[in-house]
Amino acid sequence: MISCLLIHVTRNSQGLPISKNSVISGEILQIGRGAACKIHLQDHRISLLHATILRSEEGGLYIDAEHNVTLKVDGFITLSADLVPGTLLEVGPYSLIVEPETEHHEITLSLELIHPLPAVMQGHVPVNLAALGWSKRKFGFGMAAIILFLFMLLPLLPAASNALDKWQSGLPVTMTDSWSPGPLSGGHELFASKCSTCHQRAFKSVTDEICTGCHARVSRHLTKADLEVQAFGGMHCTNCHIDHKGREELVLHDSSKCVDCHGNIKDKKTSTELANVNDFNLGHPPFHLTFVSDSGVVHIREDDKARLIEKSGLKYSHQVHLAKDGVSSPQGDTVMQCQDCHKLEESGKHFAPMSMQKSCQQSGCHALDFTDPVTGLAPHGSERAVMNSLREFYGKWLGVSADNLAACKGAVVQDCVNELARKNAAATLFRKDLECGECHEISPVANKDVPWKVTPIRINRDWQPGAIFPHNRHDTMKCTDCHDKVESKVSADISMPGIAKCRECHVGNHPAKGKVASGCDSCHQFHRTAVKPEN
Amino acid sequence: MNNMQGSSLLKYKNYRYLKVSAGMMVLSIVVYLFNEPVGGHPFGGTWLGYTLGVVSTLILLGLMWYGVAKRSITGTPDWSMIAEHEGMAGSHQRPAHGKSSVNKGLRGSGMLQEWLSGHIYLGISLLVLATLHTGFHLGWNVHTLAYVLMMLVIFSGFYGLNAYLNYPRLITLNMGEDTLDDLLLKIAELDELATARALDLSDEVNVLVMESCQETRVGGNLLQQLSGTQRDCPTRFAVQHLMTLGGHYIRDDQRKMLRDLYSLLLRKEKLVLRARTEIMLKARLECWLYLHAPLGIALFSALAAHIISIFFYW
Repeated sequence: MISCLLIHVTRNSQGLPISKNSVISGEILQIGRGAACKIHLQDHRISLLHATILRSEEGGLYIDAEHNVTLKVDGFITLSADLVPGTLLEVGPYSLIVEPETEHHEITLSLELIHPLPAVMQGHVPVNLAALGWSKRKFGFGMAAIILFLFMLLPLLPAASNALDKWQSGLPVTMTDSWSPGPLSGGHELFASKCSTCHQRAFKSVTDEICTGCHARVSRHLTKADLEVQAFGGMHCTNCHIDHKGREELVLHDSSKCVDCHGNIKDKKTSTELANVNDFNLGHPPFHLTFVSDSGVVHIREDDKARLIEKSGLKYSHQVHLAKDGVSSPQGDTVMQCQDCHKLEESGKHFAPMSMQKSCQQSGCHALDFTDPVTGLAPHGSERAVMNSLREFYGKWLGVSADNLAACKGAVVQDCVNELARKNAAATLFRKDLECGECHEISPVANKDVPWKVTPIRINRDWQPGAIFPHNRHDTMKCTDCHDKVESKVSADISMPGIAKCRECHVGNHPAKGKVASGCDSCHQFHRTAVKPEN
Repeated sequence: MNNMQGSSLLKYKNYRYLKVSAGMMVLSIVVYLFNEPVGGHPFGGTWLGYTLGVVSTLILLGLMWYGVAKRSITGTPDWSMIAEHEGMAGSHQRPAHGKSSVNKGLRGSGMLQEWLSGHIYLGISLLVLATLHTGFHLGWNVHTLAYVLMMLVIFSGFYGLNAYLNYPRLITLNMGEDTLDDLLLKIAELDELATARALDLSDEVNVLVMESCQETRVGGNLLQQLSGTQRDCPTRFAVQHLMTLGGHYIRDDQRKMLRDLYSLLLRKEKLVLRARTEIMLKARLECWLYLHAPLGIALFSALAAHIISIFFYW
């Protein structure tokens, strides 16, 4: 029989111990949650039968734990231990201390719950969003502070200091990048990181002076300054050139501003020779070809065929040169193409001027040879240069042998040279149907040294100087699709296409199916004044 | 959807603000389509762009003023204010926080309802007006930041409107006359009873009950509140496995105790589900305000930066 004094220890609100004694006895003392246990511990963490206090064969008391339960003795997990005064047992959440022996009881145990159950679940768990402790106001004002710092304060700082502006423009991401509403146009990208290049004064728009500071050579639209002021006095560069729209968008491709004036230009300027223009397809006058002569510049309508005659001074047959079977040349019959003479410049807009050497003598053709009394080759140049060349040639020829000199028949050599040169020139080079005369108009003049005059060549290089026609962007077409020169026998023929030809592919501002929409700037440049076209 | 609340708010004064909003949207779209801006590409710097920008800014300031006015009148979130006066949800919906005042709320409810109706429809109109103002030119800059923030605010508002129109009814259906505190108290009582019942049963049963008591979670962090569930819920697990553990009980009193315990846990499970649903619905009802209001403040600052940047580099 084991007699045990069990001291139940609890704590008051101040943490002071309160004892309650009870006496239990039995052959064995079972510890557990079960009702049959002498030391009955009502806690889920205790097994129904957790451990048993037994008497050993030697007469001492010891504790024996059940399997799968935890028993700690003096801090160490064990299954069995002798019970001597001072032993500290931990049975689940309870502590059992073996107190010093007393007279009346074989063993004294003090029992205390040292690990009470945690507080109920909802005590610490938030049950609404407000309990999470988040602040809408702090979140919002925090974001606002970050935005104002990054996107307002930082971009403003470079405006306060040139040194800071210069420094920040070298950063990979500049302080003002976030203010740029879009990429700058091609050339302006150079100073994209330095807004103050164009935006020189805060809250002031970009002025024309800032633009013309770089673009100093941009011409006006009108040649007359007073008219320019009258027409565009209130306008600025930025009315048409709006940047930050990407690489290609700086030039205004909008015809509406052109039509604002040109749609009714007769009323705006009664003395103008220009016709009203509203749309290439619906309201554009017929083309006018520009003729330049010594008396001035003349514009002739495309349908005024009687006046469309070019007086170039050149005798030339496209029919002969573009014959399908070829044209006779020192290398045999040669089939020529337009491009053999008309070579497009790199700009793609105009053709390079033709020259005797590159165009007419390209296959050994049109060599300026003479034959009487001996054969020779004259240079292509002025009448005087040709005559001087002949004199030089005959001077040398007479000095070669006495037989040659005999040709002078006793005349003064100088006179003889002049006579031979004149005679030869009259017989070959300056004949109206040979050599020079084959291509040039030649007329006699009262000049002893050079008694012929070759009409100057004036081939019109730009029939429509007020417009741009990029030939290179039309290279999918044949030349003869627009310029019907194959059957032309004389150089006076003009074969420039009329507006109807362009309208076969192009319409005006408003797109149409199967057509190319073409605004004013498709052919015309605003900043190109009506200058005298080049010869 | 609660037709009562929908009709009174969305149909406020015979769709007054819907008409105003739709009119502005249609007008701006028509003008946008027929306007031919300089350069052919619409953007915020054309006369139409500036007009749309100014109108959008004024509308936005008006909408933001609603937030200020609402606080000065009630100090409470709008949904509960309106719900209170439209009989949508019980009085238990009133949040514990804030300076709620029924008298003040009553006085301001008519005006607030008008404000809210205008707030919704005019806010929707900004979707069109602000988008046309951009001319569909977006980039990595403060201007697009303001636009994106505005869209976020508007779409969070869409969510809020949907929540406001649907969740109060579901909350009422779920809770009846109970409050969340009532449910939690009942759950605590059931835990106490179940614990006592389980003491005389096997260790396995005790483990189930103890885990049900200690580890069943109602509420939690944001995601837990929004989901309204608990993965491997101990209470659900206990209910599912409790009866399978009773096979070895021979004594009638033990079998009776087990049945009692099962009944207690079953009741607890239903209460836990209701409590979680309540928390989930209220979290879903309120969560959008944690984006809508802060993003609105952020939008205000981005808009200020946008406007100043435009005029500073004029």
